[in-house]
Amino acid sequence: MTVGLNAFLIVAGLLFAVGLLGVTLRQNTLVIYMSLELMLNAVNLAFVAFSRYNGTMDGNLFVFFIITVAAAEVALGLAIIVALFRRRQSVMVDQLNALSH
Amino acid sequence: MTAAQILLAALLAPLLSAVLIACFLRRRGTLASYLSVAAAAGICVFSYLAIKANEAEPIRAAIEWLSFGNFTVSMGFLFDGVAATMLAMVAFVGLLIHVFSLGYMADDKAKGRFFGGLSIFMFSMLGIILADNLIMIFVFWELVGFSSYMLIGHYLDTDDAAAASKKAFIVNRIGDLGFLIGIVYAYWHFGTTNIEAMGAAVNADPSLISWVIAALLMCGFIGKSAQFPLHVWLPDAMAGPTPVSALIHAATMVAAGVYFLIRIAFLFPESVLGGIAILGTSVAVYAGFCAYGQNDIKKILAYSTLSQLGYMSAAFGLGFAGIALFHLITHAFFKALLFLGAGSIIHGCHHEQDIFKMGGILKKMPITSITFFIGVLALCGVYGFAGFYSKDAILVAGGLNSTAIFALLTLGAFLTAGYMGRLVWIVFFGEPKSDAASHAHESGFSMVLPLIILAVLSVVGGWIEVWPEATGEIIRENLEHLHHAEGHDAMHSKVMILGSTAWIVGLLGSFFFYGVGKNGDALQNRAKSVYEFLKARLWFDEIYGFYVAKIQQRVAVLLSFLDVFLIKGLFVRGSAGLVGLVGACSRSLHVGNIHGYVYWFLAGIILLWALATGVVL
Repeated sequence: MTVGLNAFLIVAGLLFAVGLLGVTLRQNTLVIYMSLELMLNAVNLAFVAFSRYNGTMDGNLFVFFIITVAAAEVALGLAIIVALFRRRQSVMVDQLNALSH
Repeated sequence: MTAAQILLAALLAPLLSAVLIACFLRRRGTLASYLSVAAAAGICVFSYLAIKANEAEPIRAAIEWLSFGNFTVSMGFLFDGVAATMLAMVAFVGLLIHVFSLGYMADDKAKGRFFGGLSIFMFSMLGIILADNLIMIFVFWELVGFSSYMLIGHYLDTDDAAAASKKAFIVNRIGDLGFLIGIVYAYWHFGTTNIEAMGAAVNADPSLISWVIAALLMCGFIGKSAQFPLHVWLPDAMAGPTPVSALIHAATMVAAGVYFLIRIAFLFPESVLGGIAILGTSVAVYAGFCAYGQNDIKKILAYSTLSQLGYMSAAFGLGFAGIALFHLITHAFFKALLFLGAGSIIHGCHHEQDIFKMGGILKKMPITSITFFIGVLALCGVYGFAGFYSKDAILVAGGLNSTAIFALLTLGAFLTAGYMGRLVWIVFFGEPKSDAASHAHESGFSMVLPLIILAVLSVVGGWIEVWPEATGEIIRENLEHLHHAEGHDAMHSKVMILGSTAWIVGLLGSFFFYGVGKNGDALQNRAKSVYEFLKARLWFDEIYGFYVAKIQQRVAVLLSFLDVFLIKGLFVRGSAGLVGLVGACSRSLHVGNIHGYVYWFLAGIILLWALATGVVL
C-alpha cells in the first residue's frame, strides 16, 4: 500500500494548524513553545514528503538544517523560560506584560 | 634675536602677564601689580630694541592662522616707520601710566583685576599697532574694546561705571559693524586684506580706490576714536579709574582709530577725506563748547580729548596723515600728563572730582600743579611746548586748504585755552572749598615721577629734530611738504599770531570771567540759559535715549512677540507636539501581551504575502 502525497500534506497542514492555534490561544509559555516546535515539524514533514515525491534530496537537506536550528533554539528558549520562572515564579503569558507601556 | 622675534616678545610679554594674573594672582593684588609693571617695562625694552634694529626696510613676518578652502587668514607684523613711532609712544606712555597706577590703585580691593586688565589692554594695543592685515587689526580692535569695557567697569559696584562700560561697548559695536562689512568688502574688492598688498594694488591702479570701502572702514574709526555721532561713550567712560582714562581714553586706544586711518590712508579718495576733515573740525569745536558745561575735572579733560581727536582727524582729512600722527603723539604726552595730574589731584582730594569743591591745590600739591600747568600750556599750543608744533602744523594745513576749516579750528584753539583756563583758575588757586581739598597732600613718588617725565616730554615731544632716527619719518616728510607749499610762510605767521592770541585771550579771558578760586560757575550765574545749553551737549544722550527706549524698544517687543508665538510656539512646540503624537500612536501598538505581538506578526505576514502575490497594489 502506498500513501499518496496529499495525505502527507493534509497531516502536515493539520499539525501546522494545531501548532498555530496553540501559539495563539494557549497561555502557558512552555506549551506555546511546544506548539512552535510542532509547526516546525509540520513543515519538516511536508519537506520530506515533497522530497520523496520529487525523488530529489533537496527537501531532506532542508530538514536537517531545520532540526539543527530547532535544537539550538530549544536549548536557548528553555533556558530563557527557566530563568523567567526563577525570576517571576510564573510562565503564564498574561502575567508577562512588563513591556506594556 | 631677529627683529620679528623681538616684536613677538614685546607682544607676548603683556599677554603672559595677563594670563598669570588671571590664573594665579587674582587675590594677590600687589604681586599682580608688580608683574604688570614688569611686563610694561618689558614692552618698553623690546620696543627699544626693535626700533634700534629697524633698518630702511620695514619688518615683515607672517604666519597662516586659519585656512578655509582658498581663503586664508594670516597673523603678521608690518613694522614700518609709522608703527615704530606709535609703538615707541604706546610703550613709553604705557609704562609711565603703569607706574602711576602703582600709587593710584595702591588701596584698591581689586588690584589684580585692574592690573590684569591693563596688561591685556597693552597686548591688544600692540596687536593693533603691529598688525599687517585688516582682519588681525579687527581681532585686536575688539580685544581693545573688551579691555576698555573691563577697565571702565572697574568700580563695578557703582551704577555709573556699570552703565558707562556697557555704553562704551555697545556704541563701539555700532562702529565696528561698519568696519567689519568694510573688511569683507575690501577682501572681495582686492582679494586680500593685507595692508601692503592693498597699497600696491591701489598704486598700480588708482581706479581701485572705492569710497564705499573707505567710508565703511571709517566707521570703525568713528566708534573707537569717539567721533561724531558716536562720541557719546567717551565722557561717560570717565567713570573708570583715572589711570585708565589716561592710558585708554586719552593717549592710546582712542588714538588707535586715527592710527588705523593713517595705516590705510592710501584707500581714501578725496571725497571721504573731505568728509573726515569736516567731521573732525566740527567735533573739535563742538567738544570745545561742551567742556564749558562740565564741572567734573575728568569730563572736562574728556571733552578736551574729543576736541583734540577732532584736530587729528581734520589733519588726516586735509591729506596730512603725518601731521595727524604728530598731533597724536604730542597729544598722548600732554593729555596723559593732564589725566595723571588730574588723577593725582583726585587721589590727593580723596576722590573728589568736582572742580568747584577743589581750590588751592597749588600750595598743597606743588609738583602735580606745576606739571599740570606744563600740560595745559602744551595743550593750549604755547610756543615751544609740544602741542604748539603739531597744532600749528594742523592750522597751517587747514589755512592752506579751506578758510572755513581754518576759522573753526582757530575757534577751537580759543575754546581750548578758555576751558583749560577755567579749570586751572578754579582748581589750583584760591582757598580750598571742601574738607577733602583742604586735606589734600602731594602724591607719592611712584605717582609724581611719571608726571615729571611726561612734563618733560610735553615740552620736548614737539621737537621733531630730537626724535630717534627710526621714528617720525612720515611726520618729517609731511612737515617738509607743508613747508614748501605755496603761501606757507604767510600762513605760518598768521597762525603764529592767531595761535598765540588764542591762548593768551583764552587764559586771560577765563581769568577775568571765572575769577580765581570762585565757588560757583560764573557762566551759570550770569547766563544760566547759555550754561544749560552747553551742559546739555546738544541733547545727544537724550536723543539716543529716546531712540533706544521708544523706537528700538518697540521693535524689540515686536520681535519678542514673533519669537514667542511664531518660533517658540509654532515651530518649536509645534514640531515637538507632532513628533509626540506619532510617538503616542506607535506606543499604543505595544500592548505588552505576547499574543498581541503574534497577531501583529500574522498580520505582517499576510500583508507581505498580499504584496508579494500582487493582491494589493
